[in-house]
Amino acid sequence: MQELFKEIASIVKWRELLWQMVGREVKARYKQSVLGYFWVILNPLAQMLVMSFAFSIILRIPTNASSHIPYSIFLFVGLLPWTLFSNSLGSASASLVGSASLITKVYFPRTILVVSTIIAKIIDFLFASTVLIAYMVYYHIPISFSILWIFPIFFIQQIFTLGLSLFFAAANLLYRDIQYLLSLILILWMYLTPVIYPADIVPDQYKFIFQLNPLSVIINAYRQVILGGLEPKYSSLLIALALSVLTLVIGLKYFKSREKIFADNI
Amino acid sequence: MKNTIIKFENVSKDFSKNNQKTFKEFLPALFLGEKTVDRFTVFKDISFEIKKGECVGIIGPNGSGKSTILKLIAGVMSPTSGTISVQGRISPLIELGAGMHPELTGRENIFLNGAILGLSRKQIVENIQSIIDFSEIEEFIDQPIKHYSSGMYMRLAFSIAIHVKPEILIVDEILGVGDASFQEKCFKKMEEFKTNGVTIILVSHNLNQIEKFCNRVIYINHHRIQHDGHANKAIKIYASDQK
Repeated sequence: MQELFKEIASIVKWRELLWQMVGREVKARYKQSVLGYFWVILNPLAQMLVMSFAFSIILRIPTNASSHIPYSIFLFVGLLPWTLFSNSLGSASASLVGSASLITKVYFPRTILVVSTIIAKIIDFLFASTVLIAYMVYYHIPISFSILWIFPIFFIQQIFTLGLSLFFAAANLLYRDIQYLLSLILILWMYLTPVIYPADIVPDQYKFIFQLNPLSVIINAYRQVILGGLEPKYSSLLIALALSVLTLVIGLKYFKSREKIFADNI
Repeated sequence: MKNTIIKFENVSKDFSKNNQKTFKEFLPALFLGEKTVDRFTVFKDISFEIKKGECVGIIGPNGSGKSTILKLIAGVMSPTSGTISVQGRISPLIELGAGMHPELTGRENIFLNGAILGLSRKQIVENIQSIIDFSEIEEFIDQPIKHYSSGMYMRLAFSIAIHVKPEILIVDEILGVGDASFQEKCFKKMEEFKTNGVTIILVSHNLNQIEKFCNRVIYINHHRIQHDGHANKAIKIYASDQK
């Protein structure tokens, strides 16, 4: 825990670098392609449309509790945060290797490379979310004050993402296979998370898998507060929070223990 | 008495290289009992002190650990054993422009690189005109640097690095950059730093440069410091070892 506060303090001290790195990521993408930021919106939108077609028209997955909600919106509410998670983890894991030339030459807190990548992905996510908002307005989805719960839920998600990213980023420096392993894990993980189907159709004897998976709790909670107008299940959310903090502490510890030999191993 | 600004005490540095970078190579090696990790020593038990305002050259053959010393001073690497203490703001001129992004403009890169070297936004804003002036590329400053020539690129990088107002300047083989007049300018700037009491550590294969510029030279070879003292003498010993 102490390590965590120390790291936060040093990132705050180097905040100018953090913003510059985020800016570098965002601006570089914007400049490289003709459509620029439009891709960030188009990508999840296209994915959502195709998946909606496959899963609601062909496979007819029910949206259960929120049956008056069109499947496409049901899916999108889960798909957006999942995409954020999976993109963040994927890019953050590659971030140290990608900045090899910096790591061997200049000293600065290495965690900044991971944190800035995640922040850049959050910015993408915010852009992509505008489509969801437009969609919800179009379909007259009622919203209540419980929607404010998305902020703490989002916070938990980011703690979890950061913890895993630190771990994978450091591990990836030692063995580059980690990147490929990770993309496999992410595909399997998505199917074990209620992204394309509702959590309540999962048979009881398998529910424990979902309770131990912070992502499934988080995505379920988003749906409850955005589409259901309900409050999230506090107990599940607390477990997810505890697991996320634990992940962050362990991830950071591993990262710091490897940090000294980063420059030797690149 | 001048104060010590850099202190190496019994510093050793080993590298352990993973022979296998992927699982595909690693797993069979593990089963067959091959060595998975190779260790080699760069140097062993070296100690020295550098005082504020000194200008020290480091010489030695390839692979003797000159650049490793610079990286240890910069805090990029950690020693295997021994302690290193460094006080003061460091500006590393180690392969300039490490943090530059080709898609960004010169101006954007000044902000990015300045932040990498630890400057606040305010400090960068205050210095930006002077950085641009020194680099002599004013008319291209708002173009993406992927269109720059390598000379322009280096000018910009050097110009940013010297505006960090370093207390310690680490220079690794960079003065081959740019045309003769810009090199001249760089040397002048370094002389200016020297008179202002900035500690300068210079690694170079160009012994003339070192002799001209440094009053003290550390000659390192065979994992040890072979000589630490007056520039002429160290260079002479180095030259006779080379034969």
